[in-house]
Amino acid sequence: MKSGGKASAKLIRIKRVSVPTVAVTGGKGGTGKTTVAVNLAVGLSMEGSKVMLVDADVDGPCCAMLLGVELSNGEEVKIFKPVIDATKCTGCGKCVTVCREHALVGLKGKIPLFFEELCSGCKACQLVCEADAIKNGQKVLGTIYITDSNGVKLVVGELKPTEPRSPIVARATMLRAAEELKKGKYDVVIVDTAPGIHNVIAQALWEADLALAVTEPTPLGAHDLGFMLNLTEELGLPTEVILNKADIPNGLKDEVVKTSHDRGVEIVAEVPMDNELLHSYVSGEPLVRKSPKSPAGAALLALVPHIREMFVKGGKT
Amino acid sequence: MQRLKEIVVASGKGGVGKTTVSASLAVFLTKAGTKIVAADADVDAPDLLLALGGGKTVSSTKIEASEKAMIDESKCTGCSNCVRACPFGAIVMQDKIPTVVRLMCEGCGVCKVVCPVDAVEVKKAVTGTLKIEDTKYGFPLVTGYLKLGEHNSGHLVASVKKSGRKTAEDTGAKALVVDAAPGIGCPVIASISGASYVIAVTEPTPAAKRDLERLVKVIKHFNVPAGVVINKANLSEDFRVTLENWVKNELGYQILGEIPIDYEVVKALVNMVPVTEFNPNAEASKILTAIAKSVEDEVLP
Repeated sequence: MKSGGKASAKLIRIKRVSVPTVAVTGGKGGTGKTTVAVNLAVGLSMEGSKVMLVDADVDGPCCAMLLGVELSNGEEVKIFKPVIDATKCTGCGKCVTVCREHALVGLKGKIPLFFEELCSGCKACQLVCEADAIKNGQKVLGTIYITDSNGVKLVVGELKPTEPRSPIVARATMLRAAEELKKGKYDVVIVDTAPGIHNVIAQALWEADLALAVTEPTPLGAHDLGFMLNLTEELGLPTEVILNKADIPNGLKDEVVKTSHDRGVEIVAEVPMDNELLHSYVSGEPLVRKSPKSPAGAALLALVPHIREMFVKGGKT
Repeated sequence: MQRLKEIVVASGKGGVGKTTVSASLAVFLTKAGTKIVAADADVDAPDLLLALGGGKTVSSTKIEASEKAMIDESKCTGCSNCVRACPFGAIVMQDKIPTVVRLMCEGCGVCKVVCPVDAVEVKKAVTGTLKIEDTKYGFPLVTGYLKLGEHNSGHLVASVKKSGRKTAEDTGAKALVVDAAPGIGCPVIASISGASYVIAVTEPTPAAKRDLERLVKVIKHFNVPAGVVINKANLSEDFRVTLENWVKNELGYQILGEIPIDYEVVKALVNMVPVTEFNPNAEASKILTAIAKSVEDEVLP
């Protein structure tokens, strides 16, 4: 029996794209993932790299807002849903039995009832139906937008509010980005992930060569960073830490340093508190472009040669 | 007997102060004489226990809310039907044998359906751990800890809420204070469905406003009454005014309070004490207390 145990994720993580990919992640919410992702992408583009920025935080995608770009003409993310042809259904109950999400329910001899919000779109019901009574229906889970901004190709995945299945939209976004990559000679991809450690983040980290885990100097930041470092370790993904709000008054840096160093992970940047960063955030102009010499702007810009150097050498794979 | 009131603290965007609001509300209600149970439904990054300075573990239970596919190599012919059928990209070929990536498998079982030689089994798997702790502030806290990279965090959240309700029943509590995850997906939907009231926390930035707008669609879908807390209110004066008007006029929600930036909040977090206890005279503490009072009047009259 193979269970897909601890070691196997490392062995079988096969990238679909050959372009070096940096995932910006972190565990805790609101630590500055999007700020780092957007400024790194724009900074790399300013230095002459061809950059794609993928917003895979499908619950709350904000890269476009930080870039000051309006999104339009999205492509819908659709999955299969069963449509039962009552004239053909024999009420055999096989689809009800096979549906592990209990999206199809009903008694034998009756046409099953369908609860759309529970359906994962797996098609098992259609596959087991011997009467050919299950037709292809479609359900929209979200939208993917592709646009250009600040010299960066932006791919944004957005979950439709009230839909629960973020991982499917995150996966569709990563696949769509991979397709888009074929259209140009990109030097690097930056992926902005959701907070947390569940599989919507795993979907976004799957293609990465490097994870940048953004955290803040509080016990909460350190605690959640620990979870994230466990996840990237399980994925066999090289990881570096960025300490944001590094000089927040009354903060606690020691714990973040300890959490990182205990796992042999390096803190590669410390981004200070900076009012300029806030202005750029509110006005939708990336800081590295608006105020490259401000304290936070300089700290974010310093990541650019670090990333370039890493991938000029062939990347950390 | 009056039905248990469930107060959910949510936000579309992360890091806007949900845990700070939850901790101060839980402590305030307890001190005001209302028996409560707290629940940390941010199972990806459960921080409420830290904000409350830890607790004494009463119980710890493994929750099996997930299912995972497993492939029997001795039966598998390597036809790769399962690889093609998997909607989650969770089965990859390795040395001509399909292998399930546990991190991505959602347990839908379509692989089992398409396997011609019955080499796939779908088995129950551990989703996470549920702990009940007694806090030093006189109320119990239920926390869910998601296993790395798991799916079904919504099911774990449902388990956390169920355990919270049971604990409330056992202790005669009148309210359940739920600290939700950021976002609007499965775990947040599981937190909000069935709630009595949502406290939506935001901050005056376009990103937080946009995420709040998305969260409100979920809140309204479930017909739950809500109020808004604007945290770090003086981040941007111009945008604060825009946000305030939008919340009142467009969303039709009451603003429960506006908390200014106050580094006593950071100091309190570092000391792992709710700021309202750490320094009751801090600007943030006064407003957090007023917010808790408004919520008490609104939900527990």
